[in-house]
Amino acid sequence: MNDTHVTWQLGRGVGWRPQLDGAIARARGLGFIEVIAEAIGEHGLPAGVAAARQRGLQVVPHGVSLSLGGAERPDRRRLGHLASVAERVEAPLVSEHIAFVRAGGRESGHLLPVPRTREALEILAENVALAQEALPVPLALEHVAALVQWPGAEMDEATFVRELVERTGALLLLDVSNLFANAHNHGYDARDALERLPLERIAYVHVGGGRFRAGVYHDTHADPVVAGVLRLVEELLALTDVPGVLLERDDDFPPEAALAAELRAIAHAARRGRERRVRG
Amino acid sequence: MSADDRSSYAARQAQLLDALLRGGAPPAGFAAAEADAAGRSLRRKRDRAVARAWPALALQLGEEYEARFDAFARVVDAPASGDPLADGLAFARSLGRDVRLGDDARAELLLARAAIRRRGLFVRAAWLRGRRPRLLVVARLPRAGPLHVSVPAGARGRDGGGASC
Repeated sequence: MNDTHVTWQLGRGVGWRPQLDGAIARARGLGFIEVIAEAIGEHGLPAGVAAARQRGLQVVPHGVSLSLGGAERPDRRRLGHLASVAERVEAPLVSEHIAFVRAGGRESGHLLPVPRTREALEILAENVALAQEALPVPLALEHVAALVQWPGAEMDEATFVRELVERTGALLLLDVSNLFANAHNHGYDARDALERLPLERIAYVHVGGGRFRAGVYHDTHADPVVAGVLRLVEELLALTDVPGVLLERDDDFPPEAALAAELRAIAHAARRGRERRVRG
Repeated sequence: MSADDRSSYAARQAQLLDALLRGGAPPAGFAAAEADAAGRSLRRKRDRAVARAWPALALQLGEEYEARFDAFARVVDAPASGDPLADGLAFARSLGRDVRLGDDARAELLLARAAIRRRGLFVRAAWLRGRRPRLLVVARLPRAGPLHVSVPAGARGRDGGGASC
């Protein structure tokens, strides 16, 4: 057990991508960026990331390939790389997913959900503990948006996530868009799930864009943030304060002004929630 | 958690992943529509990455691109590296004689082959007969990056020299 407490304030953030380098360099009011650990080489840092560090922004490495929810133990080389990136950017923490990305020697190319069972929880907890031992900083775990669900679930997602972070002492990377997607696609109440998640363990929050196609919400990170997600940001901040909120955009990059407007919309939603909480 | 538990868990994950990648029927208990949407989403993510790395090929295939890539992705896994350039090369090769590549896509193909080549010498030439006929020579020398030279056709007419792959 490695019970970590959040000691950082990150503020507003954007997921750093090469295509957003200029927009991030000129954005006002940013406190942090996130870098995809696998996109960073074995040595050094991309110039834009190094420049962000110099400007005083904090950098959080975000892993996408550990496959902590997979049947195999996390690969030492991948863990070593994540640890090395964390050291190079002097990260306060790193984050990864509650998901599997490979099985039977094949790569999925994206994050896939795990069964919400005691058995899966056991394997995940072991894998997370191995990762925590290999990492120089605390680990936050992100729940994923899942279009497909495993049969035989023994608990709901909020309970599963709570049990996992309580058992491992890991922190929670709460992705409001993933929560919105799962609640919409699998028919449950997002606000209710929010209240039952371990909000006291939030390391920071993700917000991403998406779109509805044939009634299904797709967490694309290639579209603007939808109104329902902004409302959920407000609901979250009405329940608790969070150390940071970060916008993820991975494709169909918007003009700089649109990105800035999106960051403002998220900040406004957060402020509305905070004001409701303070007023009581 | 014992090795046996892990191996049974591994087998179930591999079964689901296989169904999603192939676009086949999911294992018992899964909702078919959900698995179908998840599989499409995996293949779509892959096709967008390839389209970004292979803009001329995607442009040439136009509206057919998505369906052709989907058919390819159901039978051929992405390379373990996840590299969209290598994935697109396998896709371009899979098109075979079905699609006659235009000049831009042929040039893109040669440059990709040179960029992917890790060892040894690579030299290929393609005769591009578009609005500006030219001879494109692409090379990769040992321990160096890819180079390319484009020679305008001038008055000489020539045939052949197309990109082979």
